[in-house]
Amino acid sequence: MNVVETRDLTKRYGKVAALQDCSLAIPEGHLVAVVGPNGAGKSTLLNLVVGLAAPTAGEVSVLGGVPAGSAAALDAIAFVAQDMPLYRSLSAVDMIHLTRNLNRHFDTEYARRRIDDLGIAPKRRAGKLSGGQRAQLALTLALARHPRLLVLDEPTAALDPLARHDFMAAVMTAMAEDGISVLLSSHVLAELERVADYLVLISHGQVRLDGVVEDLIGRHLLLTGPSLQARDPDWRIIQDISTSAQSHLLVEIAESSTHGVAPGWEGRPVSLEQLAMAYLRETTSPQTSLAGVAR
Amino acid sequence: MTTLTTVPPPVVRPVPWHRLAWVAWRQSRTTLAAILGVVALVVVYFAINGHTIHSAYADWQACTPRRSSACEFMSTNFHNEYGSTGLIGFVQVLLPGIVGAFAGAPILARELETGTFRYAWTQGVGRVRWAIALMVPGLVVSVAALAALGAVISWRYRPLAAAGITSRLDPSLFPSSNPAVIGWTLAAFALGVLAGLVWRRVLPAVATTIALWFGLAVLVSLTLRWHYVAPLTTTKLEVPSTGMQVSQWWTRGGTHVSDSQLNQVLQDAGVHGTISSGNAHAQPAPGSKVADPIQYLVHHGYTQWTSYQPNGRYWTFQWIEFGWLTAFALLALGLSILLVRRRDG
Repeated sequence: MNVVETRDLTKRYGKVAALQDCSLAIPEGHLVAVVGPNGAGKSTLLNLVVGLAAPTAGEVSVLGGVPAGSAAALDAIAFVAQDMPLYRSLSAVDMIHLTRNLNRHFDTEYARRRIDDLGIAPKRRAGKLSGGQRAQLALTLALARHPRLLVLDEPTAALDPLARHDFMAAVMTAMAEDGISVLLSSHVLAELERVADYLVLISHGQVRLDGVVEDLIGRHLLLTGPSLQARDPDWRIIQDISTSAQSHLLVEIAESSTHGVAPGWEGRPVSLEQLAMAYLRETTSPQTSLAGVAR
Repeated sequence: MTTLTTVPPPVVRPVPWHRLAWVAWRQSRTTLAAILGVVALVVVYFAINGHTIHSAYADWQACTPRRSSACEFMSTNFHNEYGSTGLIGFVQVLLPGIVGAFAGAPILARELETGTFRYAWTQGVGRVRWAIALMVPGLVVSVAALAALGAVISWRYRPLAAAGITSRLDPSLFPSSNPAVIGWTLAAFALGVLAGLVWRRVLPAVATTIALWFGLAVLVSLTLRWHYVAPLTTTKLEVPSTGMQVSQWWTRGGTHVSDSQLNQVLQDAGVHGTISSGNAHAQPAPGSKVADPIQYLVHHGYTQWTSYQPNGRYWTFQWIEFGWLTAFALLALGLSILLVRRRDG
């Protein structure tokens, strides 16, 4: 079952296309990192998935074909928006009660226990909580709904490293305990590199790369060799940093390729961050890749 | 292009209304307490003031003999004391607009302003049910408060109407009486909800609502209301004071005569005074030998026509005003819900 499936999904605000012809099929059970620079269209994609926004063109369905935004979709998806919007004048207990009354299913006991464990004063107004506590409260409210899909928009952007770690730990625990799928956006890949097992790379409103992280790593290679050395036709060159003597290539190896690395080339595995950078460079400005700024 | 494989969406039993009642109550209780507090103050003021008027009127009515100078004095006193509506009339007309705006405008505007709609609209309940539930307490409380105020206002005015001071059709009284006042409250509330959705900010939404509502109230009081039913016309110079005069004009031999033609006639005859909008605008100079302009014109074959709405149409007009304002409010609320449904986050 695909937790998120889109076909030629396009969203325009006025004349600006925030998302263009986006086609995805994300299977369940993953922690999906939606990564891209600021303004790339990450929030737009997430808003479409949770039904806050409606597509200009194309289609989006969730949880095995349920239309996004429908009653069934809302019932099974929990969303934590950017900046954790909570009613500032309501306490944690009030927010728990509120969320319970806005949903068919809500695990009040779980929510209360988690608030307790986190050391959040139950009667304290949400507006007076620290950033980390607010994020944890928002996450608790989402998790207590026992959703099948949890969608988090830049959840860690405003958090300090410790709070960020705690937040991600809570998400991972929920994944392990409830078997939920998580869709999470961030403009910092580094913090997701160890936890995300599915990547959706977006820039300028378009999906540049998507797939299971392991597969992506497996079919890309960093190659070093003499500049004049023949290049394998099975390689699709993503990044080419060449001097007169040597070439540093990041290539995607065709699935049909059966042989190993061509003679004269030395291959190394690529890291997820290197891969993401190369794809973002490839599409944003081709000149920079030629300028030879290796990371 | 192929389409996505979609399954028919599973039927989900909606979140029951009684759960939403708590949400709506929790979200609006502060605003509603403030509204009830303000309206209660005004009600208390009107009740005390009304009590004074009622007892002054009773004293005057009990005075015998009627023609005695003591009773005449009481009558003069009563008219001097309560003869003009002044600020009170303004407050009682404006209050439904203010209450409706403060109850209605923040409901959606606050959510959109603070971003909490991203929380609310992604809960299982769905945004349409949520929006409807959130409107109910504000709607019920502001209507109840203003209906109570309307009842007190009508009661307070009874002696004034009996004394012929103010017609109950008067623009300072008519829209603040039941049931029209309910219509006006609903209209302000609905305008507020809609303005909140358009503005996405509380303060401009409240301000816009009050401005629009006041404009509508002025328009209705100046013209619209007087044409709910075609006015009666008369050539009598005295129109019953319980009714409301709509307009005046002159004819001679069955043809219409304009103000400027009349003024020419008066000037040629050396009559002091002018006619404007069909009515005389200057009294004859003291000691003048010439008759007053109206009398002069009537004696010279001109006929003054007056159209007016009789007092007997009061309830018909009340229900017409209540009816169309309520329909207007329901339309505006319906449009708001449609916009909430369509709105992109």
